[in-house]
Amino acid sequence: MRWDIHYRETWLHRTNPSLKLLVMMSIFILVLFLHNPNVLINLSIGLFLLFFIYTGYPLKYLLLFFLPFFVIFVSTASSMTLFGQGTTTWVQWGLVHVTKESFLRGMHLGFRALTFALLGLIFSLTTRPVYLFYSLMQQLKLKPKYAYSFLAGVRLIPIMLEEFQTVQNALKVRGAGHSGTLEKVKRYAVPLLSQSIRRAQRIAVAMEAKRFSNETKRTFYYRIGFSKYDLMFLFSMIGIIMLSYYAATVFPYIPVTDVR
Amino acid sequence: MQTTKGLKLADILTTIVISIVFGIVYKLWGPFYYFVKPFGLHVDQLIYGMWFIAATVAFLIIRKPGVALLAEIAASSGEFIMGSEWGLEVLLYGVVQGLFAEAAFAAFRYKQFDVFVVSLAAIGSTIGSLIMDFYKGYIEALAPWNLALFLLARFVGAVLISGVFASSLVKALEATGVTQMVRSASKEDYEQLDR
Amino acid sequence: MECIASVEQLRLKFPGKETLLFKDLSLSFKKGEKVLLIGPSGCGKSTLLQVLSGLIPHSVDIPMKAKHIRVPDNWGYVFQDPDSQFCMPFVDEEIAFVLENISVPREQMPERIEGLLRAVNLQVPPHTNIHTLSGGMKQRLALASVLALEPDVLFLDEPTAMIDDEGTEMIWRTVKQIAYDKTVIIVEHKIEHVLDFVDRIILFNDAGEIVADGEASTIFHNYKEVIASQGVWYPRIWDDYKKKKKVRRHSSEQREVICLENFQGYRNKEVKIRVNTARVHEGEWIAVTGKNGAGKSTLLHALMKLIPTDGEYKVYGNRLEQTKQLARRIAFVFQNPEFQFVTNSVWEEMAYSLRLEKRTEQEIASEVERLLKMFHLEEQKKQHPYQLSMGQKRRLSVAASIISGQKVFLLDEPTFGQDAKNTFALLELFESYREKGAAIIMVTHDEQIVKHFATRRWIIENGQLVRDEPVMPETKKALSVQGGSSREMGYSLS
Ligand SMILES: Nc1ncnc2c1ncn2[C@@H]1O[C@H](COP(=O)(O)OP(=O)(O)OP(=O)(O)O)[C@@H](O)[C@H]1O
Ligand SMILES: Nc1ncnc2c1ncn2[C@@H]1O[C@H](COP(=O)(O)OP(=O)(O)OP(=O)(O)O)[C@@H](O)[C@H]1O
Ligand SMILES: [Mg+2]
Ligand SMILES: [Mg+2]
Repeated sequence: MRWDIHYRETWLHRTNPSLKLLVMMSIFILVLFLHNPNVLINLSIGLFLLFFIYTGYPLKYLLLFFLPFFVIFVSTASSMTLFGQGTTTWVQWGLVHVTKESFLRGMHLGFRALTFALLGLIFSLTTRPVYLFYSLMQQLKLKPKYAYSFLAGVRLIPIMLEEFQTVQNALKVRGAGHSGTLEKVKRYAVPLLSQSIRRAQRIAVAMEAKRFSNETKRTFYYRIGFSKYDLMFLFSMIGIIMLSYYAATVFPYIPVTDVR
Repeated sequence: MQTTKGLKLADILTTIVISIVFGIVYKLWGPFYYFVKPFGLHVDQLIYGMWFIAATVAFLIIRKPGVALLAEIAASSGEFIMGSEWGLEVLLYGVVQGLFAEAAFAAFRYKQFDVFVVSLAAIGSTIGSLIMDFYKGYIEALAPWNLALFLLARFVGAVLISGVFASSLVKALEATGVTQMVRSASKEDYEQLDR
Repeated sequence: MECIASVEQLRLKFPGKETLLFKDLSLSFKKGEKVLLIGPSGCGKSTLLQVLSGLIPHSVDIPMKAKHIRVPDNWGYVFQDPDSQFCMPFVDEEIAFVLENISVPREQMPERIEGLLRAVNLQVPPHTNIHTLSGGMKQRLALASVLALEPDVLFLDEPTAMIDDEGTEMIWRTVKQIAYDKTVIIVEHKIEHVLDFVDRIILFNDAGEIVADGEASTIFHNYKEVIASQGVWYPRIWDDYKKKKKVRRHSSEQREVICLENFQGYRNKEVKIRVNTARVHEGEWIAVTGKNGAGKSTLLHALMKLIPTDGEYKVYGNRLEQTKQLARRIAFVFQNPEFQFVTNSVWEEMAYSLRLEKRTEQEIASEVERLLKMFHLEEQKKQHPYQLSMGQKRRLSVAASIISGQKVFLLDEPTFGQDAKNTFALLELFESYREKGAAIIMVTHDEQIVKHFATRRWIIENGQLVRDEPVMPETKKALSVQGGSSREMGYSLS
């Protein structure tokens, strides 16, 4: 997705996007039902290493991407910590009620958010949308009309960002009257949306003019198949999960195994 | 006039492009959300409703079955592809929120397009998001007064943003005449050809 | 010969309009014909092409009916707007998309793609981001992806509207090479490049009726009066125009309006335009010329401070920092007319600036009506600006920007996609302002306009103002601004 940054292609880039997505979804669901903080901490360390070493981006950008996730970690952890229910009170101050249970739960939530974020980041940093949608069409039988609409939409993102600038320029050049905040929001939102709709309509017409049709059989410019990298990916993910469980039973950080 | 099954290419493309605009908004909303979150007392929940707006706006514009669900999925995919802070989570939330919004429109057989239905859809999406939160965030473990505040803020915010604001935004769009391109021509228009 | 496309008694009406755009129009094309459709701006040429290709009503739902309609089986369409006809991010992927649609085996694709790029002379590596191409290159790509369909019939809707002379020449040469055995239906205002290629010309009038239809070689002779009265371009029109109207040009030195010293404009922190020194005076009409992507629009954007700038820049002796302040003195017309529409109807768009000046409703109404008439937009006054034809959009954008009486004009290709009548009307309007002491800076690709209307010419090359020279039949010498090389440009004054 981040076209403009130069990155090194790693084995993660070469895994099949559909497989990658499905595996990550499974881990996501696994984590939803995971209540042992020890395993979760190990898992996030494992994913963090994967993110840091194998996404192929320069260190500077990795840190930059990671920063917001840290904030999320803190903010997710804090609201549960400060207002949760529990029996072992640590601090009570007005509405704020910190208990041991709520603290642990808060930390668990923080790590959970971190895991989700890392999964997503690893995926989006190592997957070109074009390959993703070609793979979805070939492996998961996504209908071409959806896939190409998404691709056209992705192509429009930079154009739409420019359009925002354009609207701003037009208002400057033509002069703008005084107006309230809501009025201002609409002043930008309406032209941006209506322009996007028009553009979408024109592109749809152009696509049909190029004989795009949902009915006829089509060939694919990129054939996305499976390779040894997919095995590698599968095994490393399973490895990380098994190691997390193993380490959690052998060297637990905290003596709690269920935060509920 | 065509009568193909399901959505036409132009409908899909339009829905997706609108949704990507909102995907950008969703992405920017993330930092804003966690900026207000540490204030506590669930001020953040008041603005949560923004994440349901793609479904209601897209449906109001295109007015066809399936659009609300597609829009919410597309917007969250857009957010995801741009590197959302919540990562994969947003995709699942998108699907669930979209399904619930779609259900609200379906309950009226896709024939009603006023503030009331969209507000209902917004409430639907809120319920969807709460179901997800239930699994993910242990919200049931919050102190009762706090949970009540949390729920109230989220519902009110959703109705205000994805219900009321969304429908006034589409009203403004209709004034530009762009929605006319999207919806099919009426019978009277065809009849006038014979004058 | 075999008929390949036809309509019989076509009726078409846009929703919400009172009148029919076409009423019982009948027309047919033979296989292998090369046809040029001409007619006043807004007469329905673009719409007709879409009907003939079946896009209306198949992809665009507009009320229409016809007694009989025959759409070719295998056609390709190049649209007016280069930006919204692609759906993939890279050049090779875009062409591959078309090849996929017609089920070309994957193994053959790379070779086919390279062949097509060669055919349209687009010399970039196949895996190039489309976003980085200039307008001319994009149109060439559009042509390549249409050719990938191996069409029997080509529909071309002003494929060169914003492209420089050299690019226009190239594109038409390409079309001629690849389409000699195909049926080609063209809509184009700049006819000089296609006249030797087409063998039939059809002329429409304002009401969307055919008023002349004949062989290309004789039509301008046989129908001279009709053609001239419809206000469309025809060969040697400038000679006739000169006979009728004497364009007087005197640019006696008057007050200085704009002063530039070491002026630079930035895009993404890179210098994209540089002007070492330049002056603009009252009563001057400066034509800014140069190739696509040279930096002409960037110069105007810099003068309007829409992009970051540095260096000395004064307007009437004042340094103005904000676009808002500049906008009070300078009228600005964007290259893409859609970029400047801020309201929902033609009428409101015209009234917008006047409203901001708090004029009375009565004053506004009379001024707007006057300009609507002058720019032939009366019938469209209730339409949304985006629902206009290409030429109508262009006129509206110009009219709406100059209405509030500024005395400096920055105009970015104000006459592209325009018929002759409206082009002259616009030019004469500018000229009348200039005579009253306004200063005009106008980007254009049209040498005739430079020759007949401009008083000076600025040549932009690679982001730099390289030449600043008077355009006067009697002057032979050119002022050269240091630091540029304009030798290979081959512009000459005569
Ligand atoms: N969506 C629309 N709704 C209403 N009117 C429209 C719409 N699109 C076009 N028109 C009107 O239909 C007429 C024909 O438009 P069209 O684009 O076919 O003209 P054209 O001959 O191609 O003109 P030009 O040379 O300026 O491009 C114009 O008067 C225009 O205002
Ligand atoms: N918004 C933008 N962001 C970044 N670069 C741009 C932008 N607009 C133009 N450029 C670049 O600046 C250079 C000058 O472009 P500009 O649009 O000024 O050319 P031009 O002379 O007006 O060409 P044309 O005749 O095609 O209108 C080009 O290399 C172009 O790629
Ligand atoms: Mg046209
Ligand atoms: Mg330009």
